Amino acid sequence: MEKKFTFLALLSFMFTTTFFAQNQIVSGTVKVAEDNMPLPGVNVIVKGTSNGTVTDMQGSYSLEVPPNSILVFSAIGFVSQEIEIDGQEELDVSLVQDTESLDEVVVTALGISRNKKSLGYATQEVEGEDLNLTNQQNVLGTLSGRIAGVQVTGSSGASMGGTQKIKIRGVNSINGGDEPLIVIDGTPISNSNFSGSAGADYGNLAQDINPSDIESVNVLKGPAASALYGIRGQYGVIMITTKKGKKGPKDVRVQVNSSLMLEFAGNFLPKQNMYGGGSSQTFRTLANGDPYVDLSVDESWGPRMDGTPVRQVFSFYPQDPTYGQLTPFIPHPDNIENYYETGVNLNNGVTVSGGNENTTYRLSLNDTRIEGIEPNTELKRNNLGVNASLDLAENITVSTNINYARNDAQRPGQGSEYGVAYFNQWFQRNLDMTRLKDYMYDDGTILHWNLRRPNSDTGEITNFDPLYWNNPYFNAYENLSNDSRDRFFGDVTLSYNILPELEIRGAIRSDMYTQNIENRTAFGGTGLPAYSVGKYQNKEWNYELLAQYNKKFGDISLDGTLGGNIYNRNYSYLSQATVGGLSAPGFYNIDASIDRPSTTSYKLEKQIRSLFAMVSLGYLDTYFLDASIRNDNSSALPEDNNSYWYPSVSGSLVFSELVNWEVLSFGKFRASYAQAGSDLSPYRTTVAYGVGTVYNGVNTLYVPDNLNNPDIEPSFSHSYETGLDLQFFGNRLGLNFTYYKQRNKNQIISLDVSGASGYGSSTINAGLIENDGIEISLSGKPIQSNDFSWEAIFNISQNKSEVVELAPGIDVYNYGSTTYSSVSSYLNSYEGKPFGSLVGQAYQRDEATGDILVDGNGMPLYTDSTYDFGTVLPDFTGGFQNTIRWKNLSLNAMIDFQGGGQFFSRSKMLGVRTGQDPLTVATNENGMNVRDPLEDGGGVLVTGISAETGERVENFVDARSYYRNVLGRRIYEEWLYDASYIKLSEVRFGYTFGTKTMEMLPFDSVNIALIARNPAMIWQNAPDGIDPSAISTGSQSISWYESGQLATVRSYGINLNITF
Amino acid sequence: MMKKIYIILFLALAFQSCDNFDEDININPNLPSQASGTQLIANAELYLPGLSSSPRGEFFAQYLAETQYVGTSLYPQESTSFYSYYQGPLENLQTVLNNQDNLSSTEGPVNNQVAVAKILRAYFYWNVTDRWGDIPYNEALMGSENFTPSYDTQESIYLDLFEELKEATSIMVSGSISNDIVYDGDMENWRLLANTIRLFMALRLSEVDPDLAQAEFADALDDGVIMENADNLVYYHLAEANNQNYWYGQIVDRNREWWALTEKLVTEMLPYNDPRLQVYGDPARASDAYVGLRFGEEEAIGTEEYSLLGSDIYAQDAPVYLVTSAQVYFAIAEAVSRGWVAGSAEENYNMAIEQSIMQWTGSDAGVTSFLNQPEVAFDSSNAIESIANQRWVHLYMHGYEAWSEWRRTGFPAGFESPNGAEIPLRLSYPDNESFNNSENYEEAVSRQFDGEDLIYGQVWWDQ
Repeated sequence: MEKKFTFLALLSFMFTTTFFAQNQIVSGTVKVAEDNMPLPGVNVIVKGTSNGTVTDMQGSYSLEVPPNSILVFSAIGFVSQEIEIDGQEELDVSLVQDTESLDEVVVTALGISRNKKSLGYATQEVEGEDLNLTNQQNVLGTLSGRIAGVQVTGSSGASMGGTQKIKIRGVNSINGGDEPLIVIDGTPISNSNFSGSAGADYGNLAQDINPSDIESVNVLKGPAASALYGIRGQYGVIMITTKKGKKGPKDVRVQVNSSLMLEFAGNFLPKQNMYGGGSSQTFRTLANGDPYVDLSVDESWGPRMDGTPVRQVFSFYPQDPTYGQLTPFIPHPDNIENYYETGVNLNNGVTVSGGNENTTYRLSLNDTRIEGIEPNTELKRNNLGVNASLDLAENITVSTNINYARNDAQRPGQGSEYGVAYFNQWFQRNLDMTRLKDYMYDDGTILHWNLRRPNSDTGEITNFDPLYWNNPYFNAYENLSNDSRDRFFGDVTLSYNILPELEIRGAIRSDMYTQNIENRTAFGGTGLPAYSVGKYQNKEWNYELLAQYNKKFGDISLDGTLGGNIYNRNYSYLSQATVGGLSAPGFYNIDASIDRPSTTSYKLEKQIRSLFAMVSLGYLDTYFLDASIRNDNSSALPEDNNSYWYPSVSGSLVFSELVNWEVLSFGKFRASYAQAGSDLSPYRTTVAYGVGTVYNGVNTLYVPDNLNNPDIEPSFSHSYETGLDLQFFGNRLGLNFTYYKQRNKNQIISLDVSGASGYGSSTINAGLIENDGIEISLSGKPIQSNDFSWEAIFNISQNKSEVVELAPGIDVYNYGSTTYSSVSSYLNSYEGKPFGSLVGQAYQRDEATGDILVDGNGMPLYTDSTYDFGTVLPDFTGGFQNTIRWKNLSLNAMIDFQGGGQFFSRSKMLGVRTGQDPLTVATNENGMNVRDPLEDGGGVLVTGISAETGERVENFVDARSYYRNVLGRRIYEEWLYDASYIKLSEVRFGYTFGTKTMEMLPFDSVNIALIARNPAMIWQNAPDGIDPSAISTGSQSISWYESGQLATVRSYGINLNITF
Repeated sequence: MMKKIYIILFLALAFQSCDNFDEDININPNLPSQASGTQLIANAELYLPGLSSSPRGEFFAQYLAETQYVGTSLYPQESTSFYSYYQGPLENLQTVLNNQDNLSSTEGPVNNQVAVAKILRAYFYWNVTDRWGDIPYNEALMGSENFTPSYDTQESIYLDLFEELKEATSIMVSGSISNDIVYDGDMENWRLLANTIRLFMALRLSEVDPDLAQAEFADALDDGVIMENADNLVYYHLAEANNQNYWYGQIVDRNREWWALTEKLVTEMLPYNDPRLQVYGDPARASDAYVGLRFGEEEAIGTEEYSLLGSDIYAQDAPVYLVTSAQVYFAIAEAVSRGWVAGSAEENYNMAIEQSIMQWTGSDAGVTSFLNQPEVAFDSSNAIESIANQRWVHLYMHGYEAWSEWRRTGFPAGFESPNGAEIPLRLSYPDNESFNNSENYEEAVSRQFDGEDLIYGQVWWDQ
């Protein structure tokens, strides 16, 4: 609520031109009559003038006024009061809540402020304060669960600002690329992502927004809300408004916000601790009879770890103190946990804000330093924000928002074969991680654990090059991945009130960044030494001109907007990588490339020119009708077919104005229809050839795998939405309900086609994907008293998608595939089914009984990789946000949840395949270990129907063959998990110092809080060690399989907030 | 100041409604919009070594066994994609042929560019149909005109390929073409190659249609085939990472000593002091002797105890032998034995072995003493088998071709069947064909293999 008060305050000072600088000072506190709580953000104005102020966090105000004037106290949702000063120097006021009015103002598309009750579509806002409870780096991540219909898929905190993906109202494009537009103070900014699906996760670029600058976030969920964004708004818009300085008597406010958090790795995949590295339960022996651990096998199907003295990997290094020695073969149960460190996250911010009668300003500075939970990983981020406005004349204001962000990071790798996550997949349970930590001997020899076997004659290892995996510490300290980014975004806006009811606003908006990415592969590990470097530059400019007309004619109100926009994007990059190795150790430079380095230079230009208009009519403050239209011309579309129109219409009826039912404080019915569109990236409509390998001076060219299309059209979505907004009992209980249906037609997709056509895919207009769903948001204040209050918001949304049609003759769209050990799995969309089916190998089953079929050896039979396991999308998502205040204490807790959805876990599968999972040492029905020989009663019991005889059979089969070659490699059905979860994502327990204490301190307010981020997974259906809420893999827009997920990070810390 | 901003803004608006952008704004500045015929052909040629350099091919011919992670060599039922041949070389070549009218003669006579494109296209198609069976052919490579091409029978493809190759040689004119990284533009080499491919294709039909096989064989031989190693189709890798040998990338760059010579290969060579063995493999590190690893062995495996690939085989710039004169002599020897053509089977057999040893070792040292051994010398009473056995030794590292010859002749005999799994008879179609081109895929599978797309289906000529 506070945000709206201050916003109105700001509006109310728009016309401030004069100021009486004299006379007496009056001060006091404004409280809520009902509960005596201090009320911040109340406008205090000297009647008949524009002289005034706004109450602070403690509800206090102080104002210089002429004697005998009248003060007007007003705030949204409260009945205004006028009080004569009559010489008083202290004046405390209690405001009574106004159950009748709900004149909340919200910022809608293009920054147009609208009365919330006039809107014919759903909007849901989140206060900046709620997004900054625990100092998260990535603002999109904090939206999880806070807005009905918005799904956020996160990634592990170990990436430090890793990818947070946001989907609004289901998946609305067949290729999954339906990212909403992000707009900050009216400026659209890039939310690109430079990560691949594996390697370092650099995160989405919206993380450059400083969360503590955010005043509020408003999500425009449907095309009706975002219609004015035309071709850029088909998938919704996230509108962020930043905090501003306040006009009024000269006032400087300084706020310091510091937090220190410790971060811990948690949620490890369980491991067995009985059998060590190798492929056979008997040790191999050297010529002298000494048993040794099979270093060449990166699995744990070896001998029992019973303490037998053996030659372990360290004993083969002549430089090692244990060289030639036998040491006990024992488990190291915590070897994986031992790798992780305690991370530190230190965040310091300062803001200075204020203003006088014709200027406002706010300056913010933020510094974030994170040392990650993986060794030698870190992130440094600096944000600088400046907002200012200046009234050039009575009716002309110039304002600007300028933001600068700098990121500098050294990040861990993720994914199957990157970084260290492999040790959940391929490792030996006997390895002592603490011994691996010193990865380099004094003479420079690198200590690895995965080597060729020793020569059986000499018992020596001569080649210390690692086979498949590096020592994880070598990866962490030598194979570095660095990235940095400098970014500016902001605007300069000039607004001119030609008439009181007519404003013209012009703005120049820009977002520009330079991203650097560098990767090293060092000498002494797997793979050729290599170095790659890329510099990516993006510049987006928006030139905008807008005229707004607001006038009331009796009972009729008219809001009109007319405007135009030119959008220009220039993007270029230069990326280079060495080929064939490096010329000298430690010389990481393209000049060190042994062979012709690979280089790419790229540039891109795109322009969209737009015109738009909107009219909104209101009658009796009860009936509202909106209509808008936008015309977009995109340079990325074919020349003679590049201009498109996007209309919308919406209406609302505030029926609480018509009925007189005391319980109902507010009631509105709304409905809307809109069309929105989206285009494609440039250069997809004409033919170009690929540049191939240069052979001995012959430059080769090739026909690319994707067939471009000169007849492409923008995609269109038609959306219908209807809903109810209700407030009961003096706004203590609120319910928002929305039903929507969105039909996304003519999607621009790169459709996989039969490669025999000569092309792997073709850019086409195809398909119809339909989403319909409901969103419910319940808000309430179950307890509200002087000392104690509880506010809660509960959001839930359900979405159903259906791929109604694809292209003629095509009934499957392949979104992605992954192949491991020659076994593929797919994410496909089938005509007539929900978006995104997981497809892979399943058990072959007996038709009659549904039991699995087994072969002559008793092993389960499996299908081809064509079995459809159903959609990956969740049935419902939501969140439960709580704020409890007791005296000076406050407790905030955020819970988010998801029901349904599924994914493959390759980490779990490989843990089983490589004999690391506890499943592989289970006790069988004979009371024996499954790894014991079959003749001794060991083995895994497999029951099923024999495919040959049709008889029911029960067989014990060899555990290693079963888990390693069949289950852990081929039967994806076993590794499919439900993605449902309930997660406690944020907790803040704060104390605000009372007035008495504050009087002794030179501060206006001090708040100290214990904060916890991601403290607990309350419930999940997937097995321990896998976090279903963080299966984001880099920039993949749909999360459908987990592989090499980074460790879960739990953070606990303290936050101090001082205002003076 | 203020006025300036207004002016800028109004100027901006003035352009607003205009949907005429700069003419070239949507033309990709990063990639060429024109490609010359020979640059496309050169790119197709880069795919030639891929026809041979593949562990699976070596497993199908049982040249190599796996030293670790035994899996692919156990002949699992899995699909193999042919898309890369269509999307890669075939589409490049088709683009050349579609644009015949626009080809530039500055890169050599247009007819010769077309001829080379046709020969290479035929060669790739031949390889693809031999591995998979019926494949998209007539309706393939049509881009947006047909995203779901039907499958043509192998028989019809063979017949058409014979004609394509004849047409290619018939349109050749004098003059070389540029950017040819295989034959340096020499059209005589291309002519010999085209005829040799016909010769081998004809031989492939020895079981299914002996009459046609004989006629086409004699015809091709008449037209002139590769008789010297200098004319072989060899792809020379370069000693640099961008153009390096597949096996170098695996064994040196990635430190993957995953392959040892099979017991069978060593047994066929070591007792007869075959001079090629020292090129094919290295002695085992542990014993310094040539030790083959039994194909399909899963327990007694390792990198120290067995002979791994020879350093010439995995050298960064190792050549890849695709169509060789030794094969031609083996083919003639076989044709003579079958009574298709006149001549001496034994002379051609001896010549084949001599050419092979020359090709692999670079000298004819040891040829005579090698041939003089009774186990090696031509056995006219068992002509087909003795030719096939020595051809198998010669075709080392071109496993797919050796496998095709085994499928045709049934020789050499005595291959291993790991866990009872016989050597496959074809590759299964790419599994995404069942999504992308389901009707045609299903029709092809039911037509040939009773609806089951398995690796044990028999292709047309393998009857």
